[in-house]
Amino acid sequence: MKNIIKLILRYHFTIIFVLLEFVAFSLIVEHNRYQRTIFSTYTSTLFFNLSSQIKEIKEYFGLQQENQRLVEENTILKNKIEILIGRLEEVPEWDSLPLAPNYYSYSGKAINATYNKTKNYITLNRGSDEGILQEMAVTSRDGVVGIIQNVSNHHSIVLPLINTNLRVSAKIRKNGYYGSLQWDGKDYRYSYLNDIPFHVNVEQGDTIVTSGFTSIFPEGEVIGFVETVDRETANFLTIKVALATDFRKLSDVYIIGHRRKEEKRELETVAYDQMQNNE
Amino acid sequence: MNNSKYLLHLFCLCLIQITILDNIQLHSFVHINIYPLAILIMPYKIKKVTVLFTAFLLGLVLDMANNTVGIHIAASTFVAYIRPKMLQLTSNREQVEDIPGTGQHKSFGWFLKYLFLSLLAFHTVLILAEAFSFTNFSITLLRILCSTVVSCFFVLLYYFIALKKKQE
Repeated sequence: MKNIIKLILRYHFTIIFVLLEFVAFSLIVEHNRYQRTIFSTYTSTLFFNLSSQIKEIKEYFGLQQENQRLVEENTILKNKIEILIGRLEEVPEWDSLPLAPNYYSYSGKAINATYNKTKNYITLNRGSDEGILQEMAVTSRDGVVGIIQNVSNHHSIVLPLINTNLRVSAKIRKNGYYGSLQWDGKDYRYSYLNDIPFHVNVEQGDTIVTSGFTSIFPEGEVIGFVETVDRETANFLTIKVALATDFRKLSDVYIIGHRRKEEKRELETVAYDQMQNNE
Repeated sequence: MNNSKYLLHLFCLCLIQITILDNIQLHSFVHINIYPLAILIMPYKIKKVTVLFTAFLLGLVLDMANNTVGIHIAASTFVAYIRPKMLQLTSNREQVEDIPGTGQHKSFGWFLKYLFLSLLAFHTVLILAEAFSFTNFSITLLRILCSTVVSCFFVLLYYFIALKKKQE
């Protein structure tokens, strides 16, 4: 202790200088827009790099399981292809049909994610340089993950299902009734499907899928499975949905874009405007 | 040089800096700053820590006048910090007693060396804090050199008009 005080007394001039400079530079970064931009660019790049490195090391330990899962997924896909080829043979001259797919997808990796807040976000290692745009859909092999919210050159931020700001249009697969899915901010494993009329027959284990109305998600992507059904208000059911995606183990994701989203949106805007004018 | 005279110089330098020199736009490469002279000619018997705080306040005033928060503070505090080392480096004991270098010794060469090195340090910190990155470093370097040389010229003008005459 005595030595520390001695040291401080001896170097008090330098220490005061360093403190004053610290004050000066914090003022610079705090109050000048240009310097603040540069500072935050540096720190965020550093942070992104660091979290990618950590993610890489973590992934190394999960390689075995990851391989196993990929093999399983491959098998399922191969089986599907066989079935589809079988069906195509029934169609005469199938290669002349104009079958441009509406959706296209990219692969990506989650390099940073939160799951214990009410406004959770996921960072992906793909950005505008790889063709990612705002409002693209993000899914994993298990089910829906979320929607791209912000895009930088090499990274993008996903608004996942476990963020109270996101509402997704969803429907029950077996009978097609649709409602909106919103998270209550409590448990990252469960979300809630609202606006389903009380007479609809829903049972535990029913599959909830995307409705495809917003043209962000393709129709029929799995969101989760019905856990419990409550009738809280007089006319509507509150359905607790166990999410298919495990947000704590999220790693490989697919980013899905819609080719004709703009076209659809324009058409809908025109129709909406006409309706307004007629009234 | 006694303290009241010094305060007068401090006030004059600030006034000239804010009212005249900050409004002169020679070139985008050139910043003219003569107020660091106020730190350089501070009497030697004043405590080092006091010099440091005075420089901090001086920088704060200039920052407010220029609407650049923190940049002048960083530069002027730095000059105050290296002032003792700069004096040791460039001079002997007798000269240190009379910092403006205008007394009996008339060592103009020493004063010029002291001035140039201090202003170089000042503008290095100032312009690096303003640019805030090492991209286009050659341009930054050129800006530092130009600013230093032009500022030296203006400081010497002040030196010959105000400081030297009074002492003789």
